[in-house]
Parts: sequence; structure tokens; C-alpha cells
Amino acid sequence: MSARRSFANWLIFLCVLHGIVFCAGFFAPYDPAEQDRTSPYLPPMRLHFLDMQRHLHLWPFVYSLKLRAGTFDQYEEDISAPVALRFFVKGARYRLLGFLPCRLHAFGIENGRIYLLGSDAYGRDQLSRILYGGQVSLLAGLLGAGITLLIGTFIGALAGYYGGWRDEALMRIAELFLALPWLYLLFALRAFLPLAVGPLQAFFLIVIVIATVGWARPARMVRGVVLSAKKRDFVRAARGFGATDPYLLRRHILPATSSVLLTQAAILIPQYVLAEMTLSFLGLGVPEPMPSWGNLLSSLQQYSVLVSYWWMYLPAVVMVPFFLGYLGLASSLHQRGQPYKMESPALGA
Amino acid sequence: MNRALNDNHDLHPILKVENLVKQYSRRNLASEREGVLALAGISFAIMPRTTVAVIGESGSGKSTLGLCVASLESPTSGRIWFEGKDVGELSQNERRQLRSQIQLIFQDPANSLNPRWNSLELLIEPLVLQRKINRDEMKRHAHSLLEQVGLPPEILERSPMEMSGGQRQRLAIARALALDPKLVILDEALSALDCSVQAQIANLLMELQINLGISYLFITHDLAMAAHLASEILVLDRGMLVEQGTTEKILRQPHDETTRRLLQSTPRMIRPAHPVWER
Amino acid sequence: MRYLLRRLRHGFLLLIGVSILAFLFAALAPGNYLDEMRLNPQLSPETVAALRAQYQLDRPLPVRYVAWLNSTIHGEMGFSFAYNSAVAPILIVRARNTLLLTSVSMFLAWAIALPLGVWSAERLGRLPDRLLSWGTATLLVIPDLPIALGLLVLAVKSGWLPSGGMTSVDYQALSPLNKLRDLAEHMFLPVMALVLSALPLLVRHVRAAVSEVLNAPFLLAAVGHGIPRRTLLYRYALPAAANPLISLFGISVGALLSGSLIIEIVMSWPGIGPLLLESILARDLYVVVGGVLFSTLFLVLGNLLSDVLLYFVDPRIRSESSAT
Repeated sequence: MSARRSFANWLIFLCVLHGIVFCAGFFAPYDPAEQDRTSPYLPPMRLHFLDMQRHLHLWPFVYSLKLRAGTFDQYEEDISAPVALRFFVKGARYRLLGFLPCRLHAFGIENGRIYLLGSDAYGRDQLSRILYGGQVSLLAGLLGAGITLLIGTFIGALAGYYGGWRDEALMRIAELFLALPWLYLLFALRAFLPLAVGPLQAFFLIVIVIATVGWARPARMVRGVVLSAKKRDFVRAARGFGATDPYLLRRHILPATSSVLLTQAAILIPQYVLAEMTLSFLGLGVPEPMPSWGNLLSSLQQYSVLVSYWWMYLPAVVMVPFFLGYLGLASSLHQRGQPYKMESPALGA
Repeated sequence: MNRALNDNHDLHPILKVENLVKQYSRRNLASEREGVLALAGISFAIMPRTTVAVIGESGSGKSTLGLCVASLESPTSGRIWFEGKDVGELSQNERRQLRSQIQLIFQDPANSLNPRWNSLELLIEPLVLQRKINRDEMKRHAHSLLEQVGLPPEILERSPMEMSGGQRQRLAIARALALDPKLVILDEALSALDCSVQAQIANLLMELQINLGISYLFITHDLAMAAHLASEILVLDRGMLVEQGTTEKILRQPHDETTRRLLQSTPRMIRPAHPVWER
Repeated sequence: MRYLLRRLRHGFLLLIGVSILAFLFAALAPGNYLDEMRLNPQLSPETVAALRAQYQLDRPLPVRYVAWLNSTIHGEMGFSFAYNSAVAPILIVRARNTLLLTSVSMFLAWAIALPLGVWSAERLGRLPDRLLSWGTATLLVIPDLPIALGLLVLAVKSGWLPSGGMTSVDYQALSPLNKLRDLAEHMFLPVMALVLSALPLLVRHVRAAVSEVLNAPFLLAAVGHGIPRRTLLYRYALPAAANPLISLFGISVGALLSGSLIIEIVMSWPGIGPLLLESILARDLYVVVGGVLFSTLFLVLGNLLSDVLLYFVDPRIRSESSAT
């Protein structure tokens, strides 16, 4: 398959995934903060098409869960009460994409609550939390990557184009940033910023922290492109016509960095999502009650949760298709630049 | 613009170079700094409406010479006079005007023409940069430039990647002519072309010299082509000017070892009657 | 030789630079550190006064930095408010554990990745190679956090391996052989997690580097000379691919160190990772700086090692360096 087709396919795949997450209000049956203290750690409800009499129903349904007799934390299906799944139901209010008020949900049930992916300690629906949490984590990744690429491009272009002491100084500083293993740098930066802040501030704080960690490598790559573009004859020719530096950068040199930036974006975004998850998992990132994939996993730090409630592990699994999509994108971008190599791996941390 | 009739300027050189030195510094594999002396003190002059050729092997410094004369590299030391004025002592504004007077045409048009642009944008870029044009006259100018180099007007919509090598180089020449230069430096401008195309472009260049009164500094490793086009030849070896003189003199009585070597390696015979070639 | 000395000096300057950077980050900390300390019930007023004198805590940043530098030269690296002792002794023990973990993982990862990559490069494009590529791609998309958690769940559910810590309770009472066995048992999971997270990229890069060399003209010429396959691979191809591979080695050290941070925390391996987390939450400034510095030290050492290897393997660097 040509690199172009491959790139388009991966892009579509990613857009669909992101679309589902960013329309979390629609796909999630409930508000992520809605609690039900009577149903802590409910296992995921299974969808059935065959009922007890082995009749095939066209419509999926679930059984509500009740406590198994004699236990206080083991659940089983209450087969006397099948509840049909309904699609396009009206439910809790939410704002689609942050501004459109809406009440339509993809699915839901009449009475009670449906837990397709189980519930947590407070009875909150995990599916809803994962979808909304994805918004936070993905946004952190996208925003962070955007900021890093902006900083990196600016510094790289400055260093590569003007050279001299600016280049030396900037690249030495970049080297310092690269000398630290990135997670340690992330921690060091996070360490000294206020720990107990509100969710929104924490979000922006960690986006900035994450973005600051990774500027060095894109800066170096942009510098490389600028250095070689600077020497290309069409740049020299333009200078021969009297072009000024800003003109050259704007019209000839920076457009040449586009492919490098795109590839870097495809590599950085999943890395940054992972960074947010790691920070939040350890309690250094987005705090409760705002869900994020990282802090959804933090309950796994308790031994009992880790062992007994396997569905709490699902946020870790959910990010895998996203990573796959970004990896595929990076691979196809790399292939576009080198059509004669068999397969070029994307470079990691 | 026809300068061919103006006799006054013929007495003074349009370009004079004195003791041009250029040194680069670079980093080698072990990350250490080392100096490279590209030009070790070159002096020569070009008269109006003539062609001077600079020949030498790779690494002889001839491209660096072209870049320095075109003000695309600043010399480490030495002086350059254009039309009697010292280039090094020009003001910012005068320097900009100078840019339109000296143009450089590069070896590989695939490299010297931005592949992401189309021909129209490429052709008018110099005019846009020198602010000599408004948008309405764009196409008109472009058409007249294409005419001068013998390209069809449909070319304007295409990008350089969609043209043949010869067409690309013609486009590069057209672009260089846009600002009405008095001196055009050709840095191996014919070397990347096929033989037959080389002849065509060479003839075009001669035509343009007669019609427009342009001087050429023709940089090449091809002695035969240089002898065909130029009235004066300079021979460079590792940054030093080892021989200099009219074409006749160089071909008939080469003094320097480098020149002799270059002569002997020339496959094409220009004047087969000369006994010196038979050695 | 001069090249190596230069690299050494470079690494040393890098460490100094990083320590300054870390201190600059520390300057971001809001509030007066001194006030926070005074509120700490564990520290007596005399201790607070002594610390203030020694580390110049109420003075501007450059002065504090110099005081810290001074204490580092004397082997203390500052003071830990949480542990109520000098930083260095705490750090060194933890650093040793991290070093143990990462070096074993590095060794294993490369020991697996090299032959696998070479094997894959030999069979480029054919079924075994494609299967391996799929395998590495799958592993590549699973980040280290889920891998670590997953392995932990496995350990806990199966009960085969201890699920945390470095040694068992009765470690000291064991015989040397059993001590080793105990250590290995505890190391197994974290090492496996690290190796699994590092392996896919390593294999891919080795494969890419070797396959490029295998297509080189000089190797085809050697085939034409009838040189046997094994010799071809190991005495012709591999040395030629050594340059990019050794650079890869330097980069992989950094990636592995980052990975070890989170894996140590998840699997309760007593390395720098858990200490760093603790001290961040406790706002123990000097421990954080020290921990970050140690991790950089390991990275710099790793890069130095790869520079040394490069010097001995690549004749171009040797000749360029001696020519000056």
C-alpha cells in the first residue's frame, strides 16, 4: 500500500477514535461524577442476546446485578430481571464538544444504571469515566505536543538560521535538557510546582510542564532541516534577489520543516498522553474528581483493587488503539520521506 | 534594454577582484574545529559584454569564487569592485540594488528552484522582492521573460518538477534575467544537462549576451565549453590562480601543470589542427 | 586518547549544567523553604538554625547553590528533611539498586535484541521477519505502565514470584547461593517489564541498521568471494553496523532509565524512583536534586561508555582525533 493511502487510513482511524472520545457526552451513558454508593465495584454487565429459555432476542439486554447470597462483595446476575438496552435515549444534560447543550445519549436503560465496564469504589460508571477521562488525557497530549513543537520550531529555526553563538548557546541548553532521562526531568519540573491545586489549574500546569520537557529534540531536528535548507540553492537564489531573513524563513525554509514537525507530532502526542497518565497515576497530575486515564488507574495501587477488580485495569488498555494509530501514522510519514527503505522505525525517547 | 550600443563603458571593467581570500571553518567527525582555505588570493577583471571562464577540478574553489562575487558569501579578505564601486563599502540600500545587477545561475535547477512553487511564482519572485512590480503586471513580465528564453507560456502553470532539465535551466535563466542584470555568474550551469541541450542553452546564452549586453563569469570544469564561450580563461587549483590569459594563449601555450592536465583530459577537440593537443 | 578525555570533560560539564538546571527548577518552588521547615515538627529549632547556616537557606539562589556544591564535594549532597540525615548515604543505596536493575535489564535487552535483529535482517521481507515485526509493533504500542501493572497482576494471581521489594524478610539469614536466588526472584518481574518495554524499539533499530549494511556493496563483494555465512555476519556486517548501534546504545540507556523510574515505583523496587516520588510529595528539595543528578550521572556514564566503544570500533574517529 502506498505511503499516502496508509497515512490517510491511519488518520481516519485516529479521527474516529478521537471523535468518540471528544463526543464523550453522547457515547457515555452517565455523567462521570455521578455516584451510586450502593453499587461499589460492580463487575461489567454482560450483553446478552439469548435469554434463559434460549430464545434469540434481536435487541441486546442485560441483567441487573445483585449480591450473591452470603457474600458482601460478590455479584451475580439477577436472571429474573432482564432489562432491554435502548439506543438514543434522553439522559443527563451535557455539552457536546464543550458548547452545544444536548440530552441525547447513544444508549441507556429504563430503570437503574447500566455498567458496561463496571463501576468504581463510589459506584461511578467506568465507561463514562473512561470516555471523559480520555478527553483530559488526549487534550493534554495534543496541547502539550502543540506547545512543544511551537517552542522547538522557534528555537531550532533561530539556532539553525543565525548560527554562531546563538546556535552554540541554544544547543548547549538543549543538550542539558536531553541529558536528563525525560521522566526524571518531568518529575523534577513537577516537583517544585504547587502540588495541591484545583483540577483545571493542575491540568494547565502539567500541560506546560510536559511541553517544557520535550522541546529539545524537535528543536534539534528543526535546526537540522533549517541548516540544510539554508544551504539549498533556491534559498541562495532568493537571497541573491534581495530577500530578507524573515522572508526566507517564512516562504522557503520553514515550509520545509513541515514533514519533520508532522512526524514529531505523531511521536510526541502518545508520549505526552503517557506522561500525563504517569503523573496522574502517581498523584502528581490531574486530581480527583476530574477523571483522566491516569488517575483512573491510581486505584490499582491498592493491592486489593489490583487483585480483585480486573475491570479497573481497562483504562490502560483503552489507550493502546490510540498508540497504535499514532505509531501507524508516524510509520507512514517516515515512509513518505524514504520511499526506498523497507520499513523505518519511529524513534522513541 | 539594449546596452550593446553604448561604447563608453567598454573601457572600464565591469567587475574587478583583488586578492580574494575565503576561509571556512568546519567540524570533523571527532567534533574538532578545522579551517579550510577555499580561495587563497585571487585577482582578475571582467570587461563589459564579455565572458570570462573559470576552470578547475572539484575542490579548486571556483564555486566559492562565484558565491563571493555574487555577494552570497562574504570574503575573508580582499576587495571587489563592481562598476567602479567597492562592494565592501556600500550602504544597505546600495547593496540591495547591487543584488539586482549581479545574478547567479546554479548548476542544478532542481535545487535552485523551490520544488513546492509553480513557475509563475518562481519567475516573479525577484521582482516581488525588489518591489519593482505590482500584481497586474506580473503575468506580462513573466510572459516576456519566457519569450526571451524560448519557453512556451503554458509553462507558467507547471512546477519545476514537471519539466525537463533543459526547460528547468531555461526557467532559471529567465528568472535571473528578471532584474536586468549586467553580470551573470554561471556556476556549472550547463554541467547537469544532456549534450544536445547543453549546446542549445549555450547558444541561448550567447544570444542573450549580444541582445542584452550581459557579461558572464562562466564557472566550469569543462574546458571545451569554456573555450567555446569565453574570451578569457582563469585556471584554479586548490584555491590558487595558477594561470590566466586569453583563450587563444591558454590553449596554445599552457604554462601550468594543472592547465596541461585539463587540456589533455578534454575529450572533445576544438582546434584539432594544433600540434600541442597531440601530445 | 585526547578524544576520550574531551568526552569525559564534556560529561562532567554536563553534570554541572544539569545541577544548575535542577536548582533553577527548585527556585520555582513557591513560598519560603525556611518557613516550611520551621513548621515541620520533626526538626528542632537548633537543627533548623544549623541547617540555615550550613545551606544558606535564606540567601539568594546562587549562594544556596554554592553551599550545596560545597556540601557535595564533602560527600553529603545536602540535607534531607524527611530522613533527617545527609542526602548522599540515602541516595547511594538507592542508586546502587537502580543501577543493578537497569544494567541487568540493558544487558538482557541487548542480548535478546541483537541476535533477533540480525536474524530478522537476514530474512528481510519474508514471513519470519514479518511476524517479528508484527510482534514488536504490538509490544511497542503497549506503554510501560500497563506492562508493569499487567505483570504485577500476573505475579499476584499466580503467586509464583514475589510481587514487590528487592529481598525477602529473611534475606540476611540465607546462604550466599540462596541470597542470589532470592535477589533474582525479586528482580525477575521488574527486569522483565523493563526488557519488554525496551525490546521492540531495539529490535527494530538493530534490524534497520543491519539490513542497511547487508545491502552494502562491500558485503556483496564478500559474498562473491565465498566467505561463509557466519563469518560474514559477525566479522563483516556487524562491525560495519556498529556505529549506529553504539549510538543506539547511548540513547537506549536514557529510555531505560526513564522506564525504570515508573517500574520501580509500581513494583516497589527500592531504587531512586520511589525515593524521588516520596521526596516530591514531602517537598524534600535536596533529595529531589540529588536523585535527578544521579539519574543524569548514569545517563552520562552510559553515553561515555558508548563513546569509548565508538572510539575503539570506528577507525575514522581514531584517525581524525589523532590527526589533530
